[in-house]
Amino acid sequence: MEQTLTYRKIDDTVLDTLTPPQRSYWALVALLFAGVLMGAGCWIYQILVGIGVGGQNNPVHWGTYLINFVFWVGIAHSGTLISAILHLFRAGWRNPIARAAETMTVFAVCTAGLFPFIHLGRVWLVFYMLPIPNQRTLWPNFQSPLMFDVVAISTYLTVSSLFWYTGMLPDLAIIRDRAVGVRRKIFTVLALGWTGEFEIWRHYTRGYLFFAALATPLVISVHSVVSWDFALSVVPGWHTTIFAPYFVAGAIHSGLAMVVTLMIPLRLIFKYEAIITDRVLESVAKTIVFTGLIVAFAYATEIFMAWYSRNPVEMETFRWRALGDYALEYWIMVTCNTIIPLFLLFKKVRTNIRVLFVISLLVNVGMWYERFVIIIGSVAHDFLPHAWGLYSPSLIEFGIMIGSFCLFFFLFVLFVKHMPSVSMTEMKETLHEGASHAG
Amino acid sequence: MGSVAVAAGCSAKSEDNLFTMVQATEDMVVGQESWYASTCRECPAGCGVLAKNREGRIIKLEGNGLHPVNRGSLCIRGQAALQGLYNPDRLWMPQLKTEKGWQEIPFDKAEALIRQKAGAAVNRGSGRISMVTETVGRTQLDLFATVLQTFKSPPPVVFEPLAYESLKFAHQQLFGDPVLPVLHMDRADVLLGFGADFLETWLSPVEYARKFKSMHQLNDGRKGVFIQVSPFQSLTGANADRWIGCRPGTEAAVIMGLVRLVIDDANGRQVNRSLRDALAGVTEAYTPEAVARLSGVSVEDQAVVGRQLLAAKRPLVLGTGAGSDGGHAVAAEVAALFLNLALDPELSLFDFNNRHRVEIADRRSTVLDAFDAMDEKSVELVLINNVNPVFSIPGGNRIAKILSDKKRFVVAFSNFMDETAALADLIVPVQLALETWDAYESNSTTMATLQPTMGKITQAPALGDLLLNLLPPEKRPAADYQALVTRSVLAGQGSQTAAAWLKTIQKGGRFSDDSTTGGSPKANLRAAATLKTCLTALPEPEVGDVLMAPPSIRFFDGRGANRPWLAEIPDTLTQIAWQTPALVHPDRMAAGGIKDGDRVVLETHAGEIEVPVYAYAGVFPGTVVVPAGLGHTTFGRWARGQGVNPLSVLDPSVNADAGAPSFATPLISMAITGTRMSLATTSGSRVSLGRKIALSMAIERIGHKDGHKEPGLTMDTFPLTPPTPEGYDPERDLYPPHDHDGYRWAMIVDMDRCIGCTACVAACYAENNLGIVGEERIIEGREMAWLQIQRYQDPADMARVTFLPMMCQHCDNAPCEAVCPVYAPHHSKEGLNNQIYNRCIGTRFCAQNCPYKVRRFNWFDWQWPKPLQMQLNPNVTVRSKGVMEKCSFCIQRIKAAHNTAKNEKRAIRDGEVVPACAQTCPTGALTFGSLMDPASRVSQLIKDPRAYQVMGYLNTKPAVIYLKKVTQIV
Repeated sequence: MEQTLTYRKIDDTVLDTLTPPQRSYWALVALLFAGVLMGAGCWIYQILVGIGVGGQNNPVHWGTYLINFVFWVGIAHSGTLISAILHLFRAGWRNPIARAAETMTVFAVCTAGLFPFIHLGRVWLVFYMLPIPNQRTLWPNFQSPLMFDVVAISTYLTVSSLFWYTGMLPDLAIIRDRAVGVRRKIFTVLALGWTGEFEIWRHYTRGYLFFAALATPLVISVHSVVSWDFALSVVPGWHTTIFAPYFVAGAIHSGLAMVVTLMIPLRLIFKYEAIITDRVLESVAKTIVFTGLIVAFAYATEIFMAWYSRNPVEMETFRWRALGDYALEYWIMVTCNTIIPLFLLFKKVRTNIRVLFVISLLVNVGMWYERFVIIIGSVAHDFLPHAWGLYSPSLIEFGIMIGSFCLFFFLFVLFVKHMPSVSMTEMKETLHEGASHAG
Repeated sequence: MGSVAVAAGCSAKSEDNLFTMVQATEDMVVGQESWYASTCRECPAGCGVLAKNREGRIIKLEGNGLHPVNRGSLCIRGQAALQGLYNPDRLWMPQLKTEKGWQEIPFDKAEALIRQKAGAAVNRGSGRISMVTETVGRTQLDLFATVLQTFKSPPPVVFEPLAYESLKFAHQQLFGDPVLPVLHMDRADVLLGFGADFLETWLSPVEYARKFKSMHQLNDGRKGVFIQVSPFQSLTGANADRWIGCRPGTEAAVIMGLVRLVIDDANGRQVNRSLRDALAGVTEAYTPEAVARLSGVSVEDQAVVGRQLLAAKRPLVLGTGAGSDGGHAVAAEVAALFLNLALDPELSLFDFNNRHRVEIADRRSTVLDAFDAMDEKSVELVLINNVNPVFSIPGGNRIAKILSDKKRFVVAFSNFMDETAALADLIVPVQLALETWDAYESNSTTMATLQPTMGKITQAPALGDLLLNLLPPEKRPAADYQALVTRSVLAGQGSQTAAAWLKTIQKGGRFSDDSTTGGSPKANLRAAATLKTCLTALPEPEVGDVLMAPPSIRFFDGRGANRPWLAEIPDTLTQIAWQTPALVHPDRMAAGGIKDGDRVVLETHAGEIEVPVYAYAGVFPGTVVVPAGLGHTTFGRWARGQGVNPLSVLDPSVNADAGAPSFATPLISMAITGTRMSLATTSGSRVSLGRKIALSMAIERIGHKDGHKEPGLTMDTFPLTPPTPEGYDPERDLYPPHDHDGYRWAMIVDMDRCIGCTACVAACYAENNLGIVGEERIIEGREMAWLQIQRYQDPADMARVTFLPMMCQHCDNAPCEAVCPVYAPHHSKEGLNNQIYNRCIGTRFCAQNCPYKVRRFNWFDWQWPKPLQMQLNPNVTVRSKGVMEKCSFCIQRIKAAHNTAKNEKRAIRDGEVVPACAQTCPTGALTFGSLMDPASRVSQLIKDPRAYQVMGYLNTKPAVIYLKKVTQIV
């Protein structure tokens, strides 16, 4: 298929997606926006009445807000992984999906970034966490993993947004060149005066490469830092050195699954079959098998270490996770994250787009439950048996969670119809480099 | 201006402000508390209290250290007396029942109405007025009698739901008088109880808690022995070295078996020959085998009890509890008294010269007769003083019918719309104990005084004044009630001066230190015949199930139900708050396929109730215990519709001999409804899974080195790491120790002394403005208690429990401090783990990282309905939503001590700072002080070989050091 692509065909395919949308598109946008408003309404209600409208309690002070935070940060991982790390590795199959994956990253970080705010008991005082000079000489506590989070997430958001925008520049220029009227004016501004001269290209490719190199450690660091929210505590099931690699692998696992979840409908709707080929999806699917195995290894290691430590508290935590009140959630996690991806080892399975789509959804569900099991399954059953308790999310929490999904898809849907959802430039590079690199 | 003042002064409205700065009274210094001594009247025990008055209102009650009954401690109900005073459901004005419902009328009109009704009644003949009162002091009781006599009516009936009829009957049979002598329990070395819940409601709980711990404390490697034989292991039973379950109603048989053993014991003690002769015929039948068959107490268990009794130097036998079966209890009490006589002919542990005030209470049969007589003798005016017979008497609907008869005018002197007041024609609120002048003889040697501890928040008169006003002026014994009280307080005193009066009032009463016993009266051995009759009259023990409805430590007979602290603080044994569970034996539940929280219908001959079940190993299988106190139909916002009233399904009949009611009744059926409810329990697990949490050690190991273990890093081998530089070891610690400035505050919790009474928890609620969250939020897991009495059951014997007071551990290496992004938890220079509310943004990371889970989050803004907010301690912030909080070691008290010490240019002395919990503990389980002072009590106690830290292996270096509970196998 790729051999039949020409520069013109790429431009046409991608630019065709930017034609004025149909009614049904706007209906979808409106629906998603309504979902966002609903989530916002839930949050406002929570601010007015108190965090108690959620289901958190003593001992489970952290509920779905933190689960969703980690979930979305995890989703945000794969974009940069695909665009930066795979770029450095010269993995050509990442080019067709890099733009969409990066977009997913940026919007997922934005969504994730809301949750720490939603989670706070007194969100109106959140500026206490910023190192602003003040007359009381009060300073944030940089020992706290939550301060690490502030730094890591904001850095990640900044770098991934810039990386995303930089990558888009040549494409924006292409749109500008073909657009008329107001659209042309807008894209003229957005394209930052791109002319396509040799010097500009030279600087651009160098710059993009450096950006990729800069973003690469962030992929590892962000989710490592998020894992330290847990690993730096004393809670059994959290306080473990495996957490950073475990979280990074899990994040990539969920991010890749989300990429598949997004690409398959995108390809169908925008007729991207020639660009996002079956082979591309297959490559992602193979990577999912790999990350799934890492995650499985992490699960096994946790249990082994609990047993090996002979620490009764650790042992009880992991026994209870698998067999206690949240056993269902635990086995959903194990099944969806480690067993189901193994089916992708079969070529027939991973080349069947429908099955692949379902599996990607299941991995997403599994990864959400992984965060549930980690966050709830530890503190609900920690040191002092008298304090043990259970947690279940309230309707308000569900409202906010649905709102967050709506927000993500709202932004994503707006983007794909107004911006180039596939990088025309990089697709052309693929053609240029030839098929030998593309696999 | 003058006219304005007169107009304002005559207004019946209460003042909006208690004081103005302009007109502050002489002794009021803003920001400084003054203390007023008074007497607690929440139960008939009559403990002395000191009321802490700040800016004109009382904010806290503490025990009066001079008072011989409670010596500075208070129980949970005493602490909660403030919530009666400031209860939002309190009636502020007299309520007159009209066809259109309740109508508020002014006090003078109410008084006139009573006078008019009394006048009308007396005009029609004698005996037309009847009065039912709670247990009151002699001054008030005499006044009641005088007033009633003036109106040609009989003296009042003293109704007390727990009136100890059987015990009084036993004393009457043996010694001629129905008395309730004070017991020198502290001098006993072996204590044997048959259900007497002396740590909860029995006679004088604070007093006996102290005395019990005095005999049961570790002393030179030994401690007294306490065994309880009863169908239900109450909190008292849970503190026994051994609890032996017996079939309900067979306590007397077990006692008789012991009497037989003691008088037959050839090589044992000297038993009075005449006593032996008197009893010989009666005890014959009670061979160990017969007793075992009857009671379910095995021959071995009987032998164990017998051995302890025979070996004892000063044994003391207590009878049944307040909530026992009437008929069986009489025989048991008589038998128990005989057993005491057989063991100690002098009855040296009984103080017949010093007797509990509650002995003046009339027996239940008299009370019921009095109500019946209202119909027969066409009583026209009924005066009811602060009792709620409609609720607390089984078969209360009969009383309800008598009271609601239109022929008579019923006046209830009550501050609450309880079940009885709701049936009255006129409710007149009168001053509560903390607002009034009065005197109360807590026991025969104690004349305790009451005084107004704060300015008036209502216009209500003192009941004494109201009654005095009913008399024609020339017949009044005094101009006002205060004068009457003054006279009776001074009556027994040498000096009659105003100074003497003032001194007495300041001390809180006149206390006689004379505790010598005048010897016991001669026992009337013919009582053995009575015993025999009682025993033969005993019905065959119930082979079927029995429902027991004992009074509870929290609600007493039900009068505490509308005090939110009492409802919110969970029952120690079940850890259930706000609800009425049915306690069923786990084997029984397993057989019936019943689980905790399953709702069952309990049916008796008198009706049925629907309650959730809770597994409790401390009941004789076949006994179902439903604690009394909740299940009000009216009474206030917290009581109404909350829980279930088991008294309503008890047999209303009373025992013919003693006139005692029955708190147990045959259970016809226990039917599973198939529905469940969430129990409002604060406990996530009954057992500690062998973790280093609530530890105990056998008494034989005291003094022996535990030296087999090398200090290591595991849970079991981790050494004690005090929260001082000595607790740091470079092998274990990355960071250097904290520098402490002058003090390092710490607390020692002696688990061997903790009886689980939860008085400390109530004190903490009062002192620190803790929010009340209610049943639903407790089910959600959102209780706010800074201090909990956690209960851990022994997996080997689930009836054995250990209580663990758990509060912020003020770790030196606190997990909460490091994780807060904004430094809201802060390590102070004196080692306190301070929580800075203003700084907190509510990430809740600290709570997640706290291994002890003692941090509490304000999920909402908690409500203090007016005027409950007047109780709030102005020295402690009221936290708003979104903020974390926890035990502060009562930092406001530490600060106050700092101020005093600084003014006096000295350091804070050991024992000068006493947190609210430690202050009220009746058994002295909590000790607070600085570890920097090598001479302080905490520094001494931390050296105790029993000392350990909960989950110390986490290297948190807690400043709360626990001393292991000492168990002895008997």
